[in-house]
Amino acid sequence: MAEAIIDQAATPVADEHHEGHYTSLGLSNMKLAMWLFLGSEVLLFGALISTYLLSKTRFLTELVAGNPEVVAGISNDENAELVNEMITKGSVEPLFDIPFTSLSSFILLMSSLTMVLAHKSVTEGNYKNLRIWLSTTMLLGATFMAGQVYEFTTFYREGLTYDGSLLGTAFYTLTGFHGAHVTGGLIMLGSLIYLSFKGRMQKDRAETVELVGLYWHFVDIVWVLIFTIVYLIH
Amino acid sequence: MQLVKSRTKWLAGAGGLPVGLLLAGCADETKPLNTFNPQGPRAELIDNLIQPIFLIAAVIGVAVVGGAIVLTIKNRVKPDDFDPDDFPAQTHGNPTLEWGWTAAPAVLLAGISVFTVFAIWDLEETNAPGGGIAGGGELDVMVIGQQWWWEYRYDVDGDGFFEDVNGNGVLNTTDEWDPADAEWPLEIALDDDDVSVANEMVIPAGEQIDLSITSRDVIHSFWIPRLNGKRDAVPGRVHSWNFVADTPGEYTGWCTEYCGLSHARMRMNVIALERDEFNRWLANQSRVADIPSEDTEAAAGRQIFQQQCASCHIIWEEGIGQDALYGRDFEAALTAKAAPNLTHFATRSVMAGAIYSTFVGLDANTNDLQPGNRNDRYLDEYLELPSFIPEENDQLGELRWNRPQLKRWIKNAPSQKDMAPEDLRGMPAFPGLTDSELDQLIAYLATLD
Amino acid sequence: MAIVEQEPLALPAGEPSRSARPLGVFSRPRNTTGLKNWLTSVDHKKIGIMYGVASLFFLLWGGVPALLIRLQLARPNQGLLSGDAYNQIFTMHGTVMVFLVVMPMGAAFANYLLPLQIGARDVAFPRINAFSFWVFLAGGIMLNTSWFLGGGPDGGWFNYAPNNGIAYSPGIGIDFWNVALMIAGFGSLTGAVNLITTVLNMRAPGMTWMRLPVFTWMTLVTQFLLLFAIPVLTVAQLLLLFDRRFDGNFFNVAQGADPLLWQHLFWIFGHPEVYLMILPAFGIVSEVIPAFARKPIFGYPFMVFSGIAIGFMGWGVWAHHMFVSGIGPLSVTAFAVATMFIAVPTGVKVLNWMATLWGGKLILNTAMLFSIGLVTQFTLGGLSGVSHAIAPADTQQTDTYYIVAHFHYVLFGGALFGFYSGLYFWWPKAFGYKLNEKIGKWNFWTMVLGFNLTFGPMHILGLQGMPRRMQTYDTSQGFNTWNMWATIGSFILAFATLSILYNALVSYLGWRRAGRPNPGPDPWDARSLEWSIQSPTPEHNFDVTPTVTSLDDWWYHKYQEDENGVLRRVASSKELAQPGNGEGVHLPAPSYWPIIVAFSLPIIGYGLIFSLWLCIPGVFLLLAAMYGWSLEPADDLDQDHHSEPEPELAQTHG
Repeated sequence: MAEAIIDQAATPVADEHHEGHYTSLGLSNMKLAMWLFLGSEVLLFGALISTYLLSKTRFLTELVAGNPEVVAGISNDENAELVNEMITKGSVEPLFDIPFTSLSSFILLMSSLTMVLAHKSVTEGNYKNLRIWLSTTMLLGATFMAGQVYEFTTFYREGLTYDGSLLGTAFYTLTGFHGAHVTGGLIMLGSLIYLSFKGRMQKDRAETVELVGLYWHFVDIVWVLIFTIVYLIH
Repeated sequence: MQLVKSRTKWLAGAGGLPVGLLLAGCADETKPLNTFNPQGPRAELIDNLIQPIFLIAAVIGVAVVGGAIVLTIKNRVKPDDFDPDDFPAQTHGNPTLEWGWTAAPAVLLAGISVFTVFAIWDLEETNAPGGGIAGGGELDVMVIGQQWWWEYRYDVDGDGFFEDVNGNGVLNTTDEWDPADAEWPLEIALDDDDVSVANEMVIPAGEQIDLSITSRDVIHSFWIPRLNGKRDAVPGRVHSWNFVADTPGEYTGWCTEYCGLSHARMRMNVIALERDEFNRWLANQSRVADIPSEDTEAAAGRQIFQQQCASCHIIWEEGIGQDALYGRDFEAALTAKAAPNLTHFATRSVMAGAIYSTFVGLDANTNDLQPGNRNDRYLDEYLELPSFIPEENDQLGELRWNRPQLKRWIKNAPSQKDMAPEDLRGMPAFPGLTDSELDQLIAYLATLD
Repeated sequence: MAIVEQEPLALPAGEPSRSARPLGVFSRPRNTTGLKNWLTSVDHKKIGIMYGVASLFFLLWGGVPALLIRLQLARPNQGLLSGDAYNQIFTMHGTVMVFLVVMPMGAAFANYLLPLQIGARDVAFPRINAFSFWVFLAGGIMLNTSWFLGGGPDGGWFNYAPNNGIAYSPGIGIDFWNVALMIAGFGSLTGAVNLITTVLNMRAPGMTWMRLPVFTWMTLVTQFLLLFAIPVLTVAQLLLLFDRRFDGNFFNVAQGADPLLWQHLFWIFGHPEVYLMILPAFGIVSEVIPAFARKPIFGYPFMVFSGIAIGFMGWGVWAHHMFVSGIGPLSVTAFAVATMFIAVPTGVKVLNWMATLWGGKLILNTAMLFSIGLVTQFTLGGLSGVSHAIAPADTQQTDTYYIVAHFHYVLFGGALFGFYSGLYFWWPKAFGYKLNEKIGKWNFWTMVLGFNLTFGPMHILGLQGMPRRMQTYDTSQGFNTWNMWATIGSFILAFATLSILYNALVSYLGWRRAGRPNPGPDPWDARSLEWSIQSPTPEHNFDVTPTVTSLDDWWYHKYQEDENGVLRRVASSKELAQPGNGEGVHLPAPSYWPIIVAFSLPIIGYGLIFSLWLCIPGVFLLLAAMYGWSLEPADDLDQDHHSEPEPELAQTHG
């Protein structure tokens, strides 16, 4: 998986600036491979999101019906009010802090914009701007991750533990998986910045930046889905 | 050409052979699980649907396989005759023909699917919860699978409820049943009038039995092939199913969803009786157990039972009502520690997941008891008995207690059937029980008629 | 077209080589023979052969449990295997055969043949190709170490929840199943990305879609199925991993979970899996039958589109595995009808093969016999498959030996017969000598006999009510006779399966004794591009990238049809074949990194099972190896660049 991204470093690249190798589709192998990999990732997140939706529904049904084990699983010493609100509303919405998550979602979306600017810079040969935009992207991504860590600790304190309830297991697995993908993206961005400082990320390797960008945009789009499905629709 | 013809004939014969064997298998009534031997309307519906399809498939199979073999033999070139420059006609394809043999099977399958869809809904209508069940069936039975035996609960008073331990009427089979209403694990005590039996389901012949199938632990599958197809017992879900047994008799089944260690030893028995016999059986099952008079062997056995067995097995007595838990450890219910209700153990023809007969006949030659495997069944005698009450402690007409097997089982059940009592799955061994204590226990069990 | 790797990231842009080792990364290994070369090779042919060897080994390894099962079931109430041992053995038999035999055997043919059939020098990503193989092997080895580290998995290859949970399977066998298959799954996934890219992007000039050999087409469909099916299985396995190792609740019924979730996820993977196991064999047969009927495949477009149709429809039928699970009558109806119609494209294939036989002049050698064997045996399995689509009947048949019979007819009688046909067919291309025909025919006929004797009776047993996964049965159930026949058949079948190895040995020794005669580039007078180069295949495949002008291009270089469809020889294979002197061809150098990355994964895997501390060195090794990989120079920089890369082919694709 990640190897596919790494291998881009050592395989033929074709773009308008560089005499590329002949390919049947006129698309570089790396770019094609990245698209295929992302196609596969769609199924991965599709299955995870479906699992979350099913688990949440089952959890809420049991919670509202008053299944004592399920109620006990989400309750701690301090959250009786929250649990009651969830039961009366029949929804997981009371757990969430929508304005906070909206902000962190916005930050992540902005990083897609800066990623586009980074790619633009490298095709124009503006390596200073490349580093600035890559760093900004990385910073925004890291901010998002920090927000997620903060959110996890809050939820945990509110009683949503990983092993306590079906909802907790499904929620942390789905968002955690997305978080792991963001972290992978951050490592790739860091590598690009390092290579750029070493003078090894120039115009002729613009495609490498583009590929990391593709991955980054994909991770952002997945978050838009998760944010909508998990946080906004309950 | 002549050769080819005779070969074709021979091939058709050869192709027909497996089909013939299959049909010979169909007719075989000595196989207790034979799916081609339907004894009730549900199984008959399935059988009537599949028989013609098997026939069509056999014809196609013989045509294709035979055709391929004929083509091969006809068109082969012997190595000596091979001429590298002699080519057959180079046909690349024939769209008309190919569209034809794309469409033809599609039309055939469309036809089959019409009958299939009708059959699905025919079966489903009678299987439907709520109206379907109440409309059809006289008797509601809850079927609970667990590692590795089946429990059957009869809604005797017909109120449609199998109550849970808190007295909440949750398992209501007369309304749309909503699994969300159930508490899990199924800690179901019964109405005072309802009964619970294990391993063997006794039903009235000719009447529709409505089943609500569920499980306490892993997924099992309830299957009495001669009465109906199978339906999975899934924890957290209750599935509706039903069947009718046309005539009195014994119908065996086997758990058909892989359920772990002793999946091969999780079988079930259905005994269909005439209605009045069934009523007698049911009235007997609704009694609480007699307490043996003091200073008998059985009374000593009862004491051992209470010390050694009662943490898992329940025997309803006067004062230990059907809603009482009798020390059952429901924390462990999910891991199948819940064990068969033994209140009327002595009336069941099978035990231990229906792998052993409770009664055996005498060997005509040696006058010894037969070994405990269910190779010999004495159903006819069993059914002809005036009552289910043995005349003496260990004798039931010509049948006798399968005492050797029962002893082996109580002393060391895991050696008889793969179980994992250390993980609360199955019955542990009782190496400490002496021979005389075993005799006392069995004497007590024999009073549970 | 040459696989010239770009200058490495370790060097500043514009600097093609440097004599020092950049950033301290190893130089690339340079062996072209010997063990080290096999371990580090990125040559698709060597990788293909290694896939083949590994899957043949696992075929024997997974066959031993099968024989034990048959011995245990030969007579009623036998105690050869305890319930626990039996459950582990049937689980491992299924798992090994599906994941470590049939899938990699398909990968073996795909790796070896795909680049050759499309006229390429290698796959798109040679190092990822090596990684795919090693990670499959690492997963396979890890799975089998469970036997020695606390017992095999006992949940069945389908591993249903909640029986796979820690409460019901407290041993670590299921964790091995889970983690090892996840690791092997990475290999399938990277392999799929790699091979799809190869077919999509690296076709020789003129190799348009409708000129691709049928085998290439079927492999392409297979790889797409893998690409989308594997992640779903991975998710199911992750959920189970979290449940078992980290107290998750995905399948915890007490917390309201629905155990059917596992079944849905598993079969959304599992049904495409069924088709991706059989399609490569369909491809092989579609190459072999035209070659030995000496006429083109009948209805090439129908063969291609029926394969694609199977690929698409395979996604809409998964719930027919769940007709008795209680999914509701509406779902049952929908999936029953969908399942019914997936038989149509499969039927088209069978009829087109028969139409290819029709009017042909058949050379009945072993490869051809196995292909005809597939056509007949698979058809029987296909017909019993249709009866599963009849959902009411399936409530009687499912989880009985009828199902066991069905899928062995399609997987053994289908996939494995096809693979054996392929082995006999392409053996001279890969190794430079033909397999012995006499032993080959013994191999075929004993296999047909053993196969039908083993699995034929299971149809009857199943319909007579014998459930699957049963450690034993009673005399009163009436299963004795046919079980005994099946056991006898299984030993004949084992003998037949083994005889290909005996054949390889005898044929090799005979060939060596005869002074290693070369079979020539085109020993079968066949049709596709791999026969236009020398045998065994030169390391660089093609001296010159071929330009393709028609379907079966190589055939029409040798022969031409006049207007009546009569063939006339134009030239012989020997005159036309490329001589194999690849002057100036630049090939990717071997690399240490794929195998190191691959074997770092089981370390993490063992960590997940035994102690999370072990994950730390595993992850460290993984990251280090990935960096080594990405910084590795394209070539051994200590060596001179001895030749110029081949000039690029300028013409665009027709």
